[in-house]
Amino acid sequence: MSLPQSLRTSVIPEELELIACQELIEIVPFVAMDKTVFISGEFGPLKPPIKSRIPLWMALNLKAKKKCRILAPDWMNVEYLQDRLNRETTQPEFSDLPFRFAEISRILLDAAPDDIDNVDKLRSLLKDLREARQSKSREGLAKLDHSELSLPNLCSMEINEIRPVFIRSMGVMTQLVRTPAQDP
Amino acid sequence: MDDWELEYDRTYGAGSGPTGNPDSAGPSSFEHGHHAPDDGLDIDELMAPVGFQGGNNGVASAEETPVQQLIRLWMNERHAPDILPVQEHLLAGILDHIRRQSEAIQLLRSDPSSSEEEHFRITLVQTEVERIKFIVRSYLRTRLFKIEKYARYITSDPDIQTRISASERAYASKQAQILDQHFWVTVLQSLPESQAHLDDTPLFTPSMITKPDKSRAVFVHALQPCPPVQLPDGSTLEMDKGHISLLPFYVVEHLVLRGEVELV
Repeated sequence: MSLPQSLRTSVIPEELELIACQELIEIVPFVAMDKTVFISGEFGPLKPPIKSRIPLWMALNLKAKKKCRILAPDWMNVEYLQDRLNRETTQPEFSDLPFRFAEISRILLDAAPDDIDNVDKLRSLLKDLREARQSKSREGLAKLDHSELSLPNLCSMEINEIRPVFIRSMGVMTQLVRTPAQDP
Repeated sequence: MDDWELEYDRTYGAGSGPTGNPDSAGPSSFEHGHHAPDDGLDIDELMAPVGFQGGNNGVASAEETPVQQLIRLWMNERHAPDILPVQEHLLAGILDHIRRQSEAIQLLRSDPSSSEEEHFRITLVQTEVERIKFIVRSYLRTRLFKIEKYARYITSDPDIQTRISASERAYASKQAQILDQHFWVTVLQSLPESQAHLDDTPLFTPSMITKPDKSRAVFVHALQPCPPVQLPDGSTLEMDKGHISLLPFYVVEHLVLRGEVELV
């Protein structure tokens, strides 16, 4: 009632996107705007064609009105992601990527494909990365016990994906361990 | 355009902007807006804008802004099995800020002389207000969900009562009372006296009062180097900044409360 059933067990991807949209991103504005005070801070002034850092939601809003060009974050290019993919497929641990890379890359590829170079290549790299990492997190399930599981470099969206299964599994493990200890 | 700066100077009380000109016309309309109870929330008594603004101005610094704090609080609450302490101070500050922004929007909307560019800024401010309202609402609803679920436990446990606000306490006791009454009317009154209770503690059966399951696993993300914690299997874990781990909630509860880790 107070919280819809679908939101009770976990956070949904749309909510993670909402959070990711608070992150700052560089844009080249096409319109001028004076410095304005928002609840999350002061942004502006925008003076074309000087670059400016504003929250992603604001950049998307401007972009939808064709009032800015979004500059892709420095990790969102073919070389960087190719390098991470190589590491991902050759090394056992998760490679280190920005915590909200999945949300941000998806939002940008959806909203501003014309501002980003090599969109198709990026899409396929991101997909490969996702698959490589997904299979690693599935392997991680084998290492799960009742006590602790370290997951270095796992990202927000990936955590959310494995959450229901992992939390439930750990609950079952806890019960299995607890029972013999209490009634020997 | 000056309206914006003036409006903000007035609402923020930061006296850096242009202060000279239409000081005569401005304050009266602002006073009027200030007393309009548009959201029905008793934030005037609760608010303490000084500390709040201090945090808000530090955008450039590494310090967390109130909005970032709110988002962290919201996510912690969503993931934690137990009810976390309410942050009335932060919430009151944010609600007050929302109200002031909304008033500024109203004021500028009603001004027919506002330019195209002005309009566009109003839209952005409005968008942000709506985003933050959504988060506040979701945060409060998450708490209400837990309060409904554990209403009977809350009314019987003084410790948890210190973690919720006065209105949440009232909601919990009301909820528990309605539920008890419902069970009594529908079932319990026709049962034998020995079975007509909702808080029996027979041996070998789980308690009849639902309690938060603190052994449920959570994903934690260390925001700073943390002191070692004792794990259920007896070993200890020392988390560095940025460490992500899946472990039972009770292990890290104190770190969540101290803000050294966040739940993700």
